[in-house]
Amino acid sequence: MKPLVSYVITRALMFLLSIWGAFTLAFFFFHLIPGDPVSAYLQQLEQQFSQTVDAADAAAMAAEMKARLGIDGSLPEQYWRFLGNVFIRFDLGPSFINFPKPALEHILEKLPWTLWLLGTSTIISWILGFVVGGIIGTFRNNFASQFLINFSLVISQIPSYFTALFALFLFGYWFVLLPTKGAYDPSIEKDLLNPRFLLSVARYAIMPAMAVVMVGVAGTLISTRSLVTTILGDDYLQFAHAKGLRRSHILMRYVLRNAMLPQITGLALSLGFVLNGFYLVEIIFNYPGMGSLFLSAIRLLDYNLILGIVLMSITVVLAATFIIDLLLPLIDPRIKLSD
Amino acid sequence: MFVVDAWKRSGYFRVGGIMLAVLLAIAVLQPWLSQLALQNPDVSPMSMGTFEPYADPSLRHPAGTDKLGRDMLALLFLGIRVSMLIALIAGCTATGIGISLGFIAGYKGGWVDAVLRTGTDMVLVIPSLPLLIALAAYLPTISIPVMSLLLAAFAWPFTTRIIRSQVLTLKQRPFVDLARTSDQGDMSIIFLEILPNLLPFLGVSVAVGMSSAMLAEIGLQLIGLGPASINTLGLMVQQSVQSGVLAIGKWWILFAPVSCLIAFFVALNLINIGLESAFNPRLRSVTGD
Repeated sequence: MKPLVSYVITRALMFLLSIWGAFTLAFFFFHLIPGDPVSAYLQQLEQQFSQTVDAADAAAMAAEMKARLGIDGSLPEQYWRFLGNVFIRFDLGPSFINFPKPALEHILEKLPWTLWLLGTSTIISWILGFVVGGIIGTFRNNFASQFLINFSLVISQIPSYFTALFALFLFGYWFVLLPTKGAYDPSIEKDLLNPRFLLSVARYAIMPAMAVVMVGVAGTLISTRSLVTTILGDDYLQFAHAKGLRRSHILMRYVLRNAMLPQITGLALSLGFVLNGFYLVEIIFNYPGMGSLFLSAIRLLDYNLILGIVLMSITVVLAATFIIDLLLPLIDPRIKLSD
Repeated sequence: MFVVDAWKRSGYFRVGGIMLAVLLAIAVLQPWLSQLALQNPDVSPMSMGTFEPYADPSLRHPAGTDKLGRDMLALLFLGIRVSMLIALIAGCTATGIGISLGFIAGYKGGWVDAVLRTGTDMVLVIPSLPLLIALAAYLPTISIPVMSLLLAAFAWPFTTRIIRSQVLTLKQRPFVDLARTSDQGDMSIIFLEILPNLLPFLGVSVAVGMSSAMLAEIGLQLIGLGPASINTLGLMVQQSVQSGVLAIGKWWILFAPVSCLIAFFVALNLINIGLESAFNPRLRSVTGD
């Protein structure tokens, strides 16, 4: 078999295996939570309507709810049903929001917003961090480089929802330049072919994206710079230098190409972390993505929706990792040759 | 002692160390400091309606008062103390878990290592915050220890990774071979030969564990899941976001806890960079330190 084909097949199998592993982990995690979700929900209802239900009725209600949610029966039984529902029927069960609208439908409505904003800001911040990191790694001894690296060292650890709060304050309230809430102007007709709608989508995305980009750039910049510094010490680059190649040529042709591979793998590893911060940024801006949906699911203690969003987040991260894996042979010729 | 070495060798460590020491001093001296801010020994910083709500910063209230008429400075001191305590417990617990798993994986090798490494990578890649939030949503009560343990449960993979890779290289070293041939047991090799060499890395992992616990804590609080009776810095951020202080122009109410948290993150990060550049010569060129 061709090495490239076997590479793709191995990666695909690894992807499916890790999806199964992570889903199983999530399933057991949700079933080992002390205090079951159904009685927690019923208690919340009791408090909300200040009613007390006697024990027998409560038990009957709980049993009915469990049957509706598909979480009755023994643990192995539930696990098999869960696997069948998720992997074969693509069904996450009904949600409490507009009951019995399926949880998956809610998620699929919000998913495009998250993917668009998260995708754009991650790609922008990676490219920007990579290029600037490469440049200040090559030209290390000047004031601008020193300033940039120290600034990044400080900012890289600040969570993105803090930069979001700063942006909100500065551009949303102080200089009233950008909209503070939502994903598009509600007065414009929602139509993907309408240029005014697309323009408003872009405008509403600037602030949340900026918050994620600022922190992301700093992280990529630091690690790219350290990689470039190490690569520059290698013999073949000393030779390229001695041959009289221009520094910019060396940077583009040799250094950045070699730094790209570990940086792309690093991007895959950090995606889960990025998503964590991203949900909170969404919540701060009331952006209609998965983060905001998760918040309403948590408020309602909507079991299927909470589990569904956790599963979908895992899928998004693992799928992105898988796509990155598939792109690697384009960048690294060694993968194509080895078998 | 590695702290003294790092202090001598790295400017980053000095700056970060001083910042953390100031925060730590505030946390320890909090009962006295908040009495000073409140000027009344009978009032607790948490009790509502003590002062006029939303007062601007003045000599009497250097950081103003919040919506519930509480002195922001006294609240801030209390927040630093509680957040620091939670982060410290969580960071140390996470480091403990990380060290144990890292040592088992690195020292045992073979299939144990393979399983632990895959598991660690999995936990690292999976977005942990939704899981953490879901867990917190179903817990009946959350106290400071429960909160810390929750946060620790998601903060250990980083430590496991660094400890494992360090143990892998250290166990190849001649002095470990010598210990093994002179018939020392595994436990004594681990604790007497390998562990002392890892102290700077333990420093790094406590710092990383603390900052990721802090990060997750704010995440929980922003969703509104932290206990409202425990005044952490995260809760202060959440309350001020909730009451919309930016929209009414009272930005300092939000920026007081946020800047404390940023100081905390930056201090821990500088300590990390300092420790790494002082003890990992390969990285010294990176920071140019």
